[in-house]
Amino acid sequence: MKRTQRKRKERLFLWLCRGATFLAVGILFILLFHVVREGIQWLDLQFLDNFPSRKPERAGIKSALVGSVWLIGLTALISIPLSIASAIYLEEYAPRNKWMRILEINLANLAAMPSILYGLLGLAIFVRYFDLDRSLWSGALTLSLLVLPVIVIAAKGAIRSVPNSIREGAYALGARRWQVVFFQVLPGALPGIMTGVILALSRAMGETAPLIMVGALSYIAFLPEGPSDPFTALPVQIFNWAARPQEDFHGLAAGGIIVLLILLLTLNAGAVFIRHKLQRYK
Amino acid sequence: MSEPLKDNNFSLETRNLSICYGEKQVVRQVNLSISSHQVTAVIGPSGCGKSTLLRTLNRMNDFIPNFSMEGEVLFQGKNLYEPSIDPGDIRQKIGMVFQRPNPFPKTIYKNVIWGPKIHGYKGNLQDLAEDALKRAALWDEVKDRLNDSALRLSGGQQQRLCIARAIAMNPEVILMDEPCSALDPGATARIEDLIQELRNNYTIVTVTHNMQQAARISDQTAFLYEGELVEYGATKKIFTQPEKKRTEDYITGRFG
Amino acid sequence: MLSRWIDHAVHLVLLVCVVITLLTTVVVVALLGKESFLFFQQVPLWEFLFGTRWEPLLEPKSFGVLPLVVGTLKIVIGSIAIALPLGLLIATYLSEFASGRMRSAIKPVLEILAGIPTVVYGYFALTFVTPLIRTLFPDTQIFNAASAAIVVGIMILPMISSLCDDAFQALPNSLREGAYALGATQYEVAVQVILPSAAARVGAAVILALSRAIGETMAVTLAAGATPQMSLGFLESIQTMTAYIVQVSLGDIPADGIEYLTCYAVGLLLFVMTLIMNIIGNHFITKTHKLHS
Repeated sequence: MKRTQRKRKERLFLWLCRGATFLAVGILFILLFHVVREGIQWLDLQFLDNFPSRKPERAGIKSALVGSVWLIGLTALISIPLSIASAIYLEEYAPRNKWMRILEINLANLAAMPSILYGLLGLAIFVRYFDLDRSLWSGALTLSLLVLPVIVIAAKGAIRSVPNSIREGAYALGARRWQVVFFQVLPGALPGIMTGVILALSRAMGETAPLIMVGALSYIAFLPEGPSDPFTALPVQIFNWAARPQEDFHGLAAGGIIVLLILLLTLNAGAVFIRHKLQRYK
Repeated sequence: MSEPLKDNNFSLETRNLSICYGEKQVVRQVNLSISSHQVTAVIGPSGCGKSTLLRTLNRMNDFIPNFSMEGEVLFQGKNLYEPSIDPGDIRQKIGMVFQRPNPFPKTIYKNVIWGPKIHGYKGNLQDLAEDALKRAALWDEVKDRLNDSALRLSGGQQQRLCIARAIAMNPEVILMDEPCSALDPGATARIEDLIQELRNNYTIVTVTHNMQQAARISDQTAFLYEGELVEYGATKKIFTQPEKKRTEDYITGRFG
Repeated sequence: MLSRWIDHAVHLVLLVCVVITLLTTVVVVALLGKESFLFFQQVPLWEFLFGTRWEPLLEPKSFGVLPLVVGTLKIVIGSIAIALPLGLLIATYLSEFASGRMRSAIKPVLEILAGIPTVVYGYFALTFVTPLIRTLFPDTQIFNAASAAIVVGIMILPMISSLCDDAFQALPNSLREGAYALGATQYEVAVQVILPSAAARVGAAVILALSRAIGETMAVTLAAGATPQMSLGFLESIQTMTAYIVQVSLGDIPADGIEYLTCYAVGLLLFVMTLIMNIIGNHFITKTHKLHS
């Protein structure tokens, strides 16, 4: 092949790569633009302060928003201590052998398991077996199971990034293992762990399928007063509206999506901030 | 320069010490008696087991998964590896300084007092920090910025901070694992001077692959080759009239 | 002494936490196994796996899962057909061509794309992609496989591009330099040197992305419909395994009915399929990771 021909092929390929990349960026902007165009007219204070309604002009996301906040709060309370403790154990205490490698693989598989299977699990265990019914408990416990492996993996990575020389330095001063772990390793790993926690919780915040499974899809025109109350959540409310045939409800769904995306964006910005400002070890 | 060796003046002793990593034997049948308030240098080519030997003296090898040993390590007459002994207690009395400076990512002050604090030190922490930093010859350089991050110090200063950190525990022995290998010549000279001063209060065991350094700073020298203790005695004698051929070959630079 | 005691206590507490975390797996397997067992006592396994009619809610009932599998396969094939070429081109651009600044501008955009909740993609499919397809192909049904496949493709695109980008970046620079020194063009280096060298990890990325697509639920529930059928068209309504599970749980199904059990049988199939793919994919990624470091 002639040199000029090869050169032309190279240029074509470069433009193809560029084009694909800008297409992906373009899709994001089209998606955001579409959602805002459809939803912005529904977005006002009333929308935030109204309960769901059969009449689109009177419908709002109050109970869904409050339900989501409850859910994420409870999920954080359950999953953060458990997952960080697990990560510490796996990184700092567990022996390194074949079983631990199998465990590690298992963790990666749990993190990649389809979320609807967590829904099936929550339905059978929490809703039916423990008889928690369609309560915030059921939803939060289900979401906790879902985010656990994700946070454990992130926290393990953060703990591993603390250099071994720090541990040796502390041990050489006669520190016990728990002192090394809690006073040296954990503070060093904290920014990384927090980033992982925030990203995992923002994933939980957008989860829909497992919540539908444990029964969040009901018409809720009141606010939950405690974790044993029934609930709905923002993504579930969005699904509910999007699944209806009427145009107006699609607009409401778009309005809900705007609120959800703003919440997620805030969380993610927090994660980025922590990652850049507080990280001590690379 | 060196005091005569007295039998009852040994701080640390190894008896028939053999160490294996998995199947591989790294130290063979070493008998070494380390005198109090002297500087003992362990020299030998890289991979001869000198760091391994050193780390056995305050049980820092406990963390290596396939580590196993035979024989005894006596500290003030007691076996360090007896089941009833807590390695944490041992390391309070036998401190360690590592090859690369490893200050904690905290302030200079917090680095020094961290050890005493976790062990429930009751006295005045500020005085303790000042004293330790003075002894480590770092006080004048850092006294105005004790609350700065230790990571902003130079390499040599960081290493002296690590020595201050060990001193703050008021140990009997300080083990040094090639403490100057990551430092420039100026910083190395300062650490060497410091080691000379520390001899008065502490027993020091240092590992080095730098023979000139061993000759400059130590009272006793042990030459380790392929895991075996070839020769051990007063530094002056080892470097001027070694008894063994292999020692002579090594210090004259014929191998290693 | 106190601190020695604390050491043991802490160890114990951490051990309990890790056991709780890991019990999840055991419970998932046990539960899917148990409920499926009850199901297979009523419906023979071969009828479930090879039957071609899925009508568990209407009389006469029929429990052949193949229509759901075919529906799922349509989504998987359609989405990977979109995401794989695009993802490879993006990864090549990011790894081989883009400047440092461009890279750090594009990567967050892809992360945002990956972080958008699936229900949002479902809404997008229903209200944007489907009308678009219907203007091009007026015969298209409101609920159709194509629309869902396209958004699932968009959803897994960031995953493929970032995994492939990692794979390309992990290759030693000497490989590129060697090829450039022979006068190769950037196209030749990217396609004939980089891509084949990273093949194992690109393959792993594809497998993991396929598993994601199989398990994807909300977009297909909203956009692909609820008509389990054995057909080849992309412009008609279908039902996937995941969408079926959602459909059942939307109704108020009695706990002991066969309808409830079908969810777990379908769930077990979904679990086995995704698990196998995840194990293979993760295995290739860690294996090649070790090779390079």
